[in-house]
Amino acid sequence: MNIKRLTLISLFVLIAFVISSCGTRGPITTNWPGLSADADRAYIATGSFVYAVDLKTNKEVWHYPSAADSKQIYYSNPLLTTDGQLLIGSEGSNRAFVSINPETGKDNWTEPFSGAKGSWVASPLVLNDKIYAPNSDGFIYILDMKGKSAGDPIDVGGTLWSAPATDGTVLYVASLDHKLHVIDPASGKITDSVDLGGAAPSSPVIAKDGAYVGSFASKIEFVNSKGHGEAITDASNWIWGTPTLDNETLYYADLNGSVYSLDLATGKQNWGDVKPDGPVVARLLVVGDQIYVASEAGTLVALDRDAKTVWDKKVGDKGQIYTSPVVSGDLILVAPYLGDFMLAAYDAEGKQAWTFTPAK
Amino acid sequence: MWQTFIIQPMVNLLLFIYNLLGHGPHTFGLAIILFTIVIRLVTWPLNASQVKGAQAMQELQTDKEWQDIQKKYAKDREKLAQEQMRIYKDRGINPFASCLPTLIQFPIIIGLYQSISRAMAATPLTMLQLARTVYPFLNIQNIIPLNSHFLWMDLGRPESIAIFGFALPTLAVIVALTTYIQSKLTMPASTNPNDQTAAMSGMMSIYMPLMLGWFALNFASGISIYFITSNLLGIIQYAATGRANWRNLLPGGNKNSSPKK
Repeated sequence: MNIKRLTLISLFVLIAFVISSCGTRGPITTNWPGLSADADRAYIATGSFVYAVDLKTNKEVWHYPSAADSKQIYYSNPLLTTDGQLLIGSEGSNRAFVSINPETGKDNWTEPFSGAKGSWVASPLVLNDKIYAPNSDGFIYILDMKGKSAGDPIDVGGTLWSAPATDGTVLYVASLDHKLHVIDPASGKITDSVDLGGAAPSSPVIAKDGAYVGSFASKIEFVNSKGHGEAITDASNWIWGTPTLDNETLYYADLNGSVYSLDLATGKQNWGDVKPDGPVVARLLVVGDQIYVASEAGTLVALDRDAKTVWDKKVGDKGQIYTSPVVSGDLILVAPYLGDFMLAAYDAEGKQAWTFTPAK
Repeated sequence: MWQTFIIQPMVNLLLFIYNLLGHGPHTFGLAIILFTIVIRLVTWPLNASQVKGAQAMQELQTDKEWQDIQKKYAKDREKLAQEQMRIYKDRGINPFASCLPTLIQFPIIIGLYQSISRAMAATPLTMLQLARTVYPFLNIQNIIPLNSHFLWMDLGRPESIAIFGFALPTLAVIVALTTYIQSKLTMPASTNPNDQTAAMSGMMSIYMPLMLGWFALNFASGISIYFITSNLLGIIQYAATGRANWRNLLPGGNKNSSPKK
């Protein structure tokens, strides 16, 4: 084989390698971690595994599945049900929806969902002993608590990345099709759809007589159960995270990094020009008198009700925070994306209690 | 650097065209086709000079001096190569003229693949990256997420058509076929079995269709739309010069053939 021929073949191999490393077959299957917690444990979904971490010892209790399977990828927030199940769907080429026993880490049941065309980015919702599982193919699949089909899938449309919210009567479902859909769970029909003017990637928050939802139209919209929508306030950029409702105050943030406090009684902003540290994707967390802001810059900031910074902590030397922080007891739990560790716990004074990194 | 000068302009151009077309069903596929045409127009002078170079290579095959050195140094390959290089230099001919138009596409292909993946925003993370990529003056919240359906395809996924239970990769076949036709048309005719340039072009006409077909088989079908459009435009551009070597498409057509003048 002469030099030119060898060079040519080497060039082809190199180009194939470069292009192959540029992407993956089909959609990219990485995302920031999913996080939830109960009184004793945190549950983190990231990559091939779902981990249970003991909050007292900061040790791994179990991980699911027991061995990595490239076909299973998890990153939605695992849902803990009142009957003791941990529900999550896989985003990998195996799009199974799984019920895990949170005590043991073994699966109770697995629904293969071979008919679903999309992935499980969203967490499910449980209402009246039925699981409503939104898939990115635009359908909400309905299962009973044993993983058997409990009704025809609801064709919502668009792409569903967030869990439905419910007031116990209707479901409010935000879609990337720019709409907030109101669904009657009894009939499985969409009763109303409100145009938000932009995609809505996160769940609405339930309020009296309706729900608040943010969107890429940089607005917060209030939608009542009759399907009447009204934009109640603006932001300076896309609103990604679910707004947080605390009595008569609505807290939300945008991709410019601005954090807002809206007085729902008067419709006026208490403050809105606060920029703690970079874009905010995660939902704001309100605990006691503090508002916790987790930013893309990898910082956890505690604000008081007047928007003054109580403390701010860089969560590790690297990584961004897109996952909404959660509270368990006295601990604020934060799961950075591509960070030094998988999970960190802080107390209300900003002292880092511990970090967790799974054993290799 | 790559992000700022390749990915960001490409993504924004794609989104701009998509928005211009009304961002309805099938428009992302049309946007990729229009985008390809724009890229072809931008690189037209480069392609034209290379087409010209390829034509010069074809004409060289019938040149007396060229044929004489083929005979004279038939058994001395080193000397033959030296003489060939001398003639190339004297006449200002680039011997890789028929390969380069395809090779220069690779940065565009890589950029386009990344741009399509970015624009499709299949996960929250890629959506966030898209938000970072879009120029502020493009008011795109109305068009996101993009409608990825084009004809029977989901442009964010590899394509296949199910026939009698078999998933046939139609686009991959068309990509391979059009790449083969384009490579063959631009391949210089050769009378000399020891002509290394012709041998290289021959290898390109085999490996390129296989490689691009493999890409089309495995990656988002949006990239296949680019390949096919680009190949067809290349064929049209070359055929418009009247120098396309159509006989090359037939088995054995490369030997003792020369393009019509």
